[in-house]
Amino acid sequence: MSVRLLVLVPVAAAISLALSAVVDAVALPLFLDTTGTILATALAGPGVGIATGVVTSAVNTLRNPTFWPFVVVQIIVALYAWAAARAGLFRSFRTAIPAGLGLGVIASVTSTPISYLVFGCTTTGGIALTTALGRALGLSPLGACFFGSFVSDFGDKAVTFALVTSVLHALPRRTAARFPWALRAMGAA
Amino acid sequence: MTRLHPFTLLALAAALVALAWLLPAPWGAAGTLAVAAVLALFSGAGLTPGASPGSTGTGMSPGWRPGLVVLRTAVVTAAPFWLFLFILHDVPTTVALGLRITTMVASVVWLVAVLAPARLVEAMVAAGWRAGTAYLFAATLSAVPVLKARAQRIVEAQRCRGLSPRGGLGPRVRALRALALPLILSALHEVDERALALESRGLVPGARRTPLAPPPDRGAERAVRWALVALCVAALVWRLA
Amino acid sequence: MTRLSLEHVSFWYPATDTPALADVSLEVAGGEVVALVGAVGAGASTLLLVAADLAPRVVGGRLEGAVDFRGRGNGEGGRGIVLPTPWTQVSGMAFTVWDEVAFGPANLGWPREQITRHVDRALARLDIAALRAREPATLSGGELQRVIIAGILAMDPALVLFDEPTAELDPAGARMLWRLVRSLAAEGKAVIVATNDLDALPDVADRVVWLEQGRAKKIGPPALLAEDALCAAGLGTAVAVVWRAGGLPRPYPLTVDDAVRLWRHR
Repeated sequence: MSVRLLVLVPVAAAISLALSAVVDAVALPLFLDTTGTILATALAGPGVGIATGVVTSAVNTLRNPTFWPFVVVQIIVALYAWAAARAGLFRSFRTAIPAGLGLGVIASVTSTPISYLVFGCTTTGGIALTTALGRALGLSPLGACFFGSFVSDFGDKAVTFALVTSVLHALPRRTAARFPWALRAMGAA
Repeated sequence: MTRLHPFTLLALAAALVALAWLLPAPWGAAGTLAVAAVLALFSGAGLTPGASPGSTGTGMSPGWRPGLVVLRTAVVTAAPFWLFLFILHDVPTTVALGLRITTMVASVVWLVAVLAPARLVEAMVAAGWRAGTAYLFAATLSAVPVLKARAQRIVEAQRCRGLSPRGGLGPRVRALRALALPLILSALHEVDERALALESRGLVPGARRTPLAPPPDRGAERAVRWALVALCVAALVWRLA
Repeated sequence: MTRLSLEHVSFWYPATDTPALADVSLEVAGGEVVALVGAVGAGASTLLLVAADLAPRVVGGRLEGAVDFRGRGNGEGGRGIVLPTPWTQVSGMAFTVWDEVAFGPANLGWPREQITRHVDRALARLDIAALRAREPATLSGGELQRVIIAGILAMDPALVLFDEPTAELDPAGARMLWRLVRSLAAEGKAVIVATNDLDALPDVADRVVWLEQGRAKKIGPPALLAEDALCAAGLGTAVAVVWRAGGLPRPYPLTVDDAVRLWRHR
């Protein structure tokens, strides 16, 4: 990994971790904690994306110890983002938002077993409450847990993909050209 | 405790968490939690009052206060999980998962209290890890508070311009974009300069750094780490059998 | 003997058609201070990056022409560059000022005793020994700039490049820095500095390079900064620009002392 891409990893991971202040300011029920992973992948490929996801999880674990088991989800997110970048799906909101919704489904499917087996679906208050709602609606414990994860991930990943698309298109072309995957992710190469 | 090798501290925390899940609940998890609580209580040993592991203070005043702070942090962090578990599950499941999650929380909170990032970086370099790998972790730790402060300044500036959390979904999503974009773009713009600075200062791929203050790695500690690994493997084998 | 040579060097950043440097030729020897002056976008920073072997190697792009660098005669001494914004040059791996300054020498794989010697010397030269135990994140912009400069000097480079080194410094800090630049040259190092602090250059620089749109428009002694063309371009010393603006005749004075002398002989 070149020094330039090495530098991108902590910057992207820090972006994921710093966006919580922005989310709080607009009072939206989002996490945006995979923004850096998706952005790093779209700019520089899956290796950098996976490294960003792992580092994000590791540093986040210092703040909230329950994050570490979900490092698997960050890796899946990076791989999905790579597939989206290869297909140029960041070229517009029309392609990026459906792709983000797709990632929301995959992320829910991936995180549900972890949340269920390790934490009994109590990773956040929101997920716990939506899981309780699912149980009240007659879903099985695992189904209710998936329902809780899905409600939080579905919109979050769509917004994240839209945000990354905005960032890529806002980059000066001279800057974007210096990242190996950026132009292709935008459908410009 | 802060004088232990960073890898020993990491191994202890990781082993406690692994064993909490591998050993049968509730007694296995209760046992690991008890160990984690004792470690947390003694995490103040070796620190001068008010010092943190990240500082260079190495006084030997065995303050209980840091240990109680660590324990309280662990309890406060774990408490919501107990509440949600109680809402969703029966009592035996609540106790089992609650003890395991609390062990995880207590172990990590203890680790953060006793492990100085500087010592971990030096341990990685002394152990032969590439400088780039050590950089990834350390640089993220350094970058997060800087970006968080910048995010806060952007939010406050936009509030002066009328940003409000009230209003419909559309305006708030647009506001999110207006806040997040400058933060992310400014961070990306700095990637080039950071890379130039690191290259100029010799951080090149494959570089072998001289460790500046490698933490001593005693034979006894290495033996303890291997023993912890063996213990976890044995627990896994026993659990699968 | 340290020597940097650029022969007909042109450079294009990625995805740009206009060269940031166009047919620049320059030689800088050990013991010399060469100043780069020009408007924003003139190519001074790019020239420093090319001289530091960071362009195109790190920033990408295309280079034409020849860049040749010889360190000290014994094969030692690389190139070090100080960029304008200190907070982007912090290593991210150091939690004290001492460790931050030692970052570069440690990456070079030097023995610990050699690192300690060079770091302590660099801290003393920049007058920041009292900050050795401080966390870099708690420093002011000026203090951090001194730390970064110390970090580069601790690596004992043969060629030292400065991009707007006084941007974050107060006047006392700027004066200290210019004294440092002269002392580096006195030690035999080659120094290239891009700066808008034109008034300092008559006492600091041996030669001045006027850059415009990537081209070296003129190269000469610091007296260039009192020439009409540079004053018209806003690149003269304050005294020369004021003298010219007052409609007073040429030659324009370069320094206040020159102005006093000229005025008395009118």
